[in-house]
Amino acid sequence: MIGADLFIAPFELPFMFRALIEILLLGAVSAGVGVLVMLRRLAFLTDVLTHAVFPGVVVGFMIGGTSGIVPGALVVAAVVAAGFTALASTRRISEDAAMAMLLTGSFAVGVVLVSRRESYTSDLTGFLFGRLLTVNTTDITVTAVTAAVAAAVLALARKELLLRAFDPEGARAAGYPVWLLDLLLNLVIALVVVAAVRAVGTVLVIALVVIPAAAARLVTGRLTAILAISVLLGPLCGWLGLVASYEASVNHDVRLAAGATVVLVLVAAYALAFAGSALRQFTGRARSQPSQPSQRSQSQRSQSPPDREASATSTVASGGA
Amino acid sequence: MSGPTSAPVVAVPEQASTDVRPSAGDQTPVGDRTPVGDQASAGTALAFDDAAIAYGRSTVLHSVHGTLHQGRTLALIGPNGAGKSTLIKAVLGLLPVSSGSITVLGRAPAAARREVAYVPQADTLDRDFPISVGQVVLMGRYRGIGWIRRPSRADRAAAQAALEAVGLADRSRDRFGLLSGGQRQRVLLARAIAAEPRLLLLDEPFNGVDVVSQEALLTALATLAGTGTATVVSTHDLALAQTVSDQVCLLNGRQIAFGPATRALAPDQLREAYGGAALEIGGASVIVTRT
Repeated sequence: MIGADLFIAPFELPFMFRALIEILLLGAVSAGVGVLVMLRRLAFLTDVLTHAVFPGVVVGFMIGGTSGIVPGALVVAAVVAAGFTALASTRRISEDAAMAMLLTGSFAVGVVLVSRRESYTSDLTGFLFGRLLTVNTTDITVTAVTAAVAAAVLALARKELLLRAFDPEGARAAGYPVWLLDLLLNLVIALVVVAAVRAVGTVLVIALVVIPAAAARLVTGRLTAILAISVLLGPLCGWLGLVASYEASVNHDVRLAAGATVVLVLVAAYALAFAGSALRQFTGRARSQPSQPSQRSQSQRSQSPPDREASATSTVASGGA
Repeated sequence: MSGPTSAPVVAVPEQASTDVRPSAGDQTPVGDRTPVGDQASAGTALAFDDAAIAYGRSTVLHSVHGTLHQGRTLALIGPNGAGKSTLIKAVLGLLPVSSGSITVLGRAPAAARREVAYVPQADTLDRDFPISVGQVVLMGRYRGIGWIRRPSRADRAAAQAALEAVGLADRSRDRFGLLSGGQRQRVLLARAIAAEPRLLLLDEPFNGVDVVSQEALLTALATLAGTGTATVVSTHDLALAQTVSDQVCLLNGRQIAFGPATRALAPDQLREAYGGAALEIGGASVIVTRT
């Protein structure tokens, strides 16, 4: 029963229970969105959003105090996501340049705002590192609604988002409004980032989004399996992180920040998956691979076309004469 | 070396007026009074009328003029940068026609997309993408399924049938990226077949493709042509262009020739398209040394 005590007992405390619900919700929805972030290679955009919402947080805090943070961040995140979609679709500027500009520009605005009123900085450290243990029922409700909206959007547009991620030109050729799909996904990412920032902070939120899908990808190449593993792994690591942080702080007098511990557990899970996949590759290589088709076709390409063209054109020419 | 192609491909042309009829075929009066104008426009899959295509302000291709009928195949031939991909993109409505016009299935290109399928080069797609062959082929059904709804059993059956048509029925559960280049190209053709298009566009489908896959691609294309689907295929391979197509469009920044391969690929025109890469040996034949 020691095991059960260790993993369940901490959550008899109301604040720990609230933190658990919050991290389970966030872990699942972030990991779900994370699968699309991985497919679209948008990890950097996620990071950009976490930093770019900073001025929204500051302005929100100035206007409405702590409860103004999420609405403020949400507005700015939506603007940044839309701005990024627009900039990236013009093709006059590369995606990473657009992101770098939005990140630094927006973050700088936030710093300027904060530096004018020093008294805010201490409150805003919560924004940087999160306050998982102080979430209240309202926060959980906001997270739950966010999670539901994000999950619904992804579920409804999953075919089209998948096609766009796999073959953007094909999606365009099929007449899909690619910019709209991009905007949709970017807004969902923004939504999740803002919801998660409150709990784990702007610095750590990207781990919740990126790591579960990345770890799942190491374990399997099947999309449905990646999604399933990712969505289970996120909450699981959140739970274990909370347990570890509680156990260390209460029983071993080592103060571990809850959000950061969750991220460390995620990183550990990724390391395990990485080790597992490396091991599998190593043992797989021991058994021989049957053939290397891509190399075979390469050599074919380099040899045969001139032959064919020579014979073809000569027939054409004599036929035309 | 005889052409690497299978026989049915060559068997398609020759009778110009007995085209495959569209579905309204029962209603048209049978006999010698076939309505000329109507029937001809219904049978036209693709019409270029002195079309020019520009990226921004610079015209990259001009003077494209010609017609492709249903069930027929048009090969786009020309050196790198000649405008083959540009022309395909314009037919898809992804690039604007700056002068003249392109008519796809009787409509403007962008309005005809639902009945047009595009097969990209397999190499342009990410091989690490975690997606199965079956999932890729099913994408061909997405437009028909519409937003939000899930693929039905009929959609899955159509995808499986398309996969069978390219000879990869048993690879449905394999990961797309693990297949050879030729097999991935066949999967992409299967995706297009699953969409049941009336016009099919293929961008360099034979590039780097092994002989087995090339045969499978050609067989599937011949079957499609038999059902009335018009096909546009860009290729570097003059021999394939000759065997696979009814019409050839020879390009190099402009249209140099449009017509049956025997006429369009005449030595003078090849020389014009390929310049220094066209080598003359023995007076009669032209060998294209670089493409």
